[in-house]
Amino acid sequence: MRSSRVALFTILAVAWAALAIFPVLWMAAMTVKPEALMFARPPAWSFTPTLEHLHYVVAEGFAWSLVRSLMVAGLSTLLIVVIGTPAAYAFARFPIRRRDDLLLFVLATRLAPPVALVIPFYLIYARVGLLDTYVGLILAYLTFNLSFYVWVLWSFCRDLPPELEEAARADGYSRTRVLLHVVLPLLRPGIIATSVLCFIFAWNEFLYAFMLGGKAVETLPVAVPKLITSQGVKWGELSVVGIAALVPILAAVFVLQRHIVRGLTMGAVKG
Amino acid sequence: MHPLTPSKDPAPLTLPSPQGGEGGGESGYGWFPYALIAPAMLMLVVVALVPFLYTVYLSLHEIRHAQVGDWAGLANYRTLLANPRFWHSAGISLLFIAIAVPLEFGLGLAGALILNQGVRLRSIIIPVLFVPTMMAPVVVAILWKIMLAGSWGLLSYNVIERFGILTGTSVLASPSLALYALVLVDVWQWTPFMMLAFFAGLQSLPLTPYRAAAVDGASDLQAFRRLTLPLMAPLMAVIGLLRLIDAFKVFDTIFLLTGGGPGTATESTSLFVYKTVFDFWDLGPASATAVVIWIMFFAFANGFYQIARRKLGAF
Amino acid sequence: MSAKRRMWMSLLAIAMMAVVPGSAAAQGWSYKDAAKPYAGRSITILDEVTPLQENMRTLVPEFEKATGIKVDYQLLNHFEVISKGQADMLSGRGAYDAVMLHSPQMGLLLDAGVIRPIDDLLGNKALTNPGLDRADFIEPAADSLTKFRGKTYGFLNWNYNVVYWARGDLFGHAEEKTAFKKKYGYDLAPAKTLQQMRDIAEFFTRKKGEKLAGQTLDSDFYGIVMEGIKGGTTLWTVLNAFVKNFGGDIFDAEGKPTVNRPENVAAVKFWADLWKFSPPGQAEYSLIDVPTVMGNGIAAQTLAWSDFVLGIDQPGKSKLAGKFVYAGSPANAQGKKRSAETEPSGIVISKHSKQPEATYLFLQWMVDKSTQQILFDKSGGAGVPIRNSTWALPSVKQSKFAGLYVAMQESLKYGSAKPKAPKLFEVMDVLVGLVQEVGLGKKTADQAMKEGQEKVQAICAKCTL
Repeated sequence: MRSSRVALFTILAVAWAALAIFPVLWMAAMTVKPEALMFARPPAWSFTPTLEHLHYVVAEGFAWSLVRSLMVAGLSTLLIVVIGTPAAYAFARFPIRRRDDLLLFVLATRLAPPVALVIPFYLIYARVGLLDTYVGLILAYLTFNLSFYVWVLWSFCRDLPPELEEAARADGYSRTRVLLHVVLPLLRPGIIATSVLCFIFAWNEFLYAFMLGGKAVETLPVAVPKLITSQGVKWGELSVVGIAALVPILAAVFVLQRHIVRGLTMGAVKG
Repeated sequence: MHPLTPSKDPAPLTLPSPQGGEGGGESGYGWFPYALIAPAMLMLVVVALVPFLYTVYLSLHEIRHAQVGDWAGLANYRTLLANPRFWHSAGISLLFIAIAVPLEFGLGLAGALILNQGVRLRSIIIPVLFVPTMMAPVVVAILWKIMLAGSWGLLSYNVIERFGILTGTSVLASPSLALYALVLVDVWQWTPFMMLAFFAGLQSLPLTPYRAAAVDGASDLQAFRRLTLPLMAPLMAVIGLLRLIDAFKVFDTIFLLTGGGPGTATESTSLFVYKTVFDFWDLGPASATAVVIWIMFFAFANGFYQIARRKLGAF
Repeated sequence: MSAKRRMWMSLLAIAMMAVVPGSAAAQGWSYKDAAKPYAGRSITILDEVTPLQENMRTLVPEFEKATGIKVDYQLLNHFEVISKGQADMLSGRGAYDAVMLHSPQMGLLLDAGVIRPIDDLLGNKALTNPGLDRADFIEPAADSLTKFRGKTYGFLNWNYNVVYWARGDLFGHAEEKTAFKKKYGYDLAPAKTLQQMRDIAEFFTRKKGEKLAGQTLDSDFYGIVMEGIKGGTTLWTVLNAFVKNFGGDIFDAEGKPTVNRPENVAAVKFWADLWKFSPPGQAEYSLIDVPTVMGNGIAAQTLAWSDFVLGIDQPGKSKLAGKFVYAGSPANAQGKKRSAETEPSGIVISKHSKQPEATYLFLQWMVDKSTQQILFDKSGGAGVPIRNSTWALPSVKQSKFAGLYVAMQESLKYGSAKPKAPKLFEVMDVLVGLVQEVGLGKKTADQAMKEGQEKVQAICAKCTL
């Protein structure tokens, strides 16, 4: 009875996953589909694969966009972890004057639509010379990711049992040492989970990268529209780039999934 | 403990008192907590507050061709609030989130409950389910163009033409259906996020009250209503709030799939702002829109925060 | 000098022109000499990515070698060029010395005064190639784009145009020909008039299960497909391929909005009637979908951007490659003045450029006859000419797209740049939503144009500069 119930729900879950992933698989097939069969009617389910699209993408240097995306998303996430973790911990542990207001301020930085903020950013960056620089883009990404990170990690920190920290303090650890040697190891799953999510958001971000970036900092999502040319859309190449952008994230999620599932709770449910 | 009482403490009405045994009182910690939050706060002031204040400044000036001109007072706001297109777009955005977010919420919860039934192969199913959320919205838009494009799209051919459902229609081109097609895309992309969050929440629920409920002879449905829902409420509040904010900002997919059409059927606020900024270069009213949206959402988020803290013990 | 020797000399000169693009050895002027004062300078150019411009990029090192000017030649996609080029010029950032502009952008940027006129540079004998031959640029595209109030702003550098594109294989099918003649009383052939285009659209619209050219259809087939998305270039085709052929326009001579003229209403009605014969997805079709629909054999004919044809009508790109026919954008059988949709685009020097001379030399080199020839030779004769002399190039005349070039040449005779109106994008945005609704049968042409007039008037009482 129990096992048949599990089997039923497993089938249901597999079916759900298959349905959800079907469009992505179709796109994956397009990476090796000959151009003339791309939208054949009826659809071409079998065909001789071609590496033409992959070759074009490699030859056009999209790999560099991938590297630049890794740089931007990686460094911005790193910066967020470095400055966001202490803040989240402090909000959870210490009585901070006007804590509520500060937390709301943190959330408020995420509220304005990027389409409206990007031009003020552009105008300011143009003046201070931050356009088309890694620093500029990494800073801009703080607007949506730092608040997310602080809020989520704050919830994690609230779940930490204070007893360990108290014991460490009693052993004569300084507060900084407590943070580095007691709190950080405990927080690791939360930090990994939250930073993977921040990484995904930064990795996929389009508008800021498009307006504030440029030739020097052209990330992958910005490189995508280049394949919509005035002599038609390079569908196969688009698919290659789309799937290639997915692979690193998918790999990371596979490896880190346990942490991510926990991270997604926002720590809001206490066990 | 009564079986149907959540195991956690009741929602605090006041700020939680500092944890950690010593001294208590603010002075006991000195500058340390403030040093911890300072870098993040400073950064947010630089990257969020400054551009925002600059936007406010722009919104109060006459701006021609990106050059700041004379002080305009509230003229840009008056222009904006008198513009029926703004109200129309706000209506479209609200309709969009009013349909999409509850759907994502409900489906996400259903999916999470399924996953929570001891489903096998979870280490494979979960990353696969999460794929749509991992994809760049730009790619998602192209992907759904390939699926839904009238006549040449995969689903158009295989569903509309093969099975004669909605014949002579293209969902993206239909004034009455286009918005729902965009909702579908949003639901596809963000349900997994909700699902995994809720699943994670379910996984970390305490077992004791459920055992007790089972002893009391409560049905699954009763346990769900009296235990799961209240226990999950804080999580649902946070996830729901974040999703509402993000859904309101939806842009890439609408821009690429319908451009706001047919007519003005899918012109969301983000699209309206985009056009005012990038197509019309009307930076005054555009900045005013940003400020108005910000105020709206701040009021909403603030209210939500206060209520969620009191009623649900979230935050 | 003997005749033989002269011949050798001229051959040598031609050979040199082919090797060093842009060297006008004959007149004693050279890019090398002209660029001497500017050698070692760096310029940044923003252009739109097209296969032709990608070929251009491969030639840039030769310009750099000849002149010593370093060129950062950046290619971006259509929307990016517009957003980023405009943002750069308007904000005063000035990262780009020259920017590619589409004609609808000219009004705003001229109004903002951020485009540098080039008349002084054109008049500078040291800088200007005597062989520039500005009379060779295709008109009315070049002048309507670059000339404004007696000044010249940049060069024509890309000449987008809409052509009539149809399924030659269907038109040549004996049964179809007989049936068409019987029904309409004239021979089935690529449409010369909008009215013929309508008849052909009606004739070829078939349901699944019916026969088309002897084959039973396993899905619906449509008589015509057009761009219908909100945004893109939908409105321009309506305006220039239909409205103007009906004698209408959205502005009068003074630039005041005249959206609800009876001619406009009649034209929009005519255009919207064609939607009966179009795929149901037309209202979401952008300039990207139209070629995809044609390439996959879903529709019989279209009005489409000719450069997109180049990406479809090639073996391996579509199973129908080689079966298409092309013609100039059709006229109105009852119309007095013919019009076609074209999109002359220019490359202009930004006001903020600190290197206008070096930039000018590069732009001049881009549109130079010999550079253009090499471009077309390199691309196997695939591209859109900006010079009349290009039509006669062997690589163009003998190209497999020879038929397409004839069509382009005809369309280009009847198209010019968009009106120079600073609020043109806003006007267009309002009107495109309205004509879309007419196409979808949500509004009558009359209602929509009346509403359009009110809305456009609210945007600008006098719209053009």
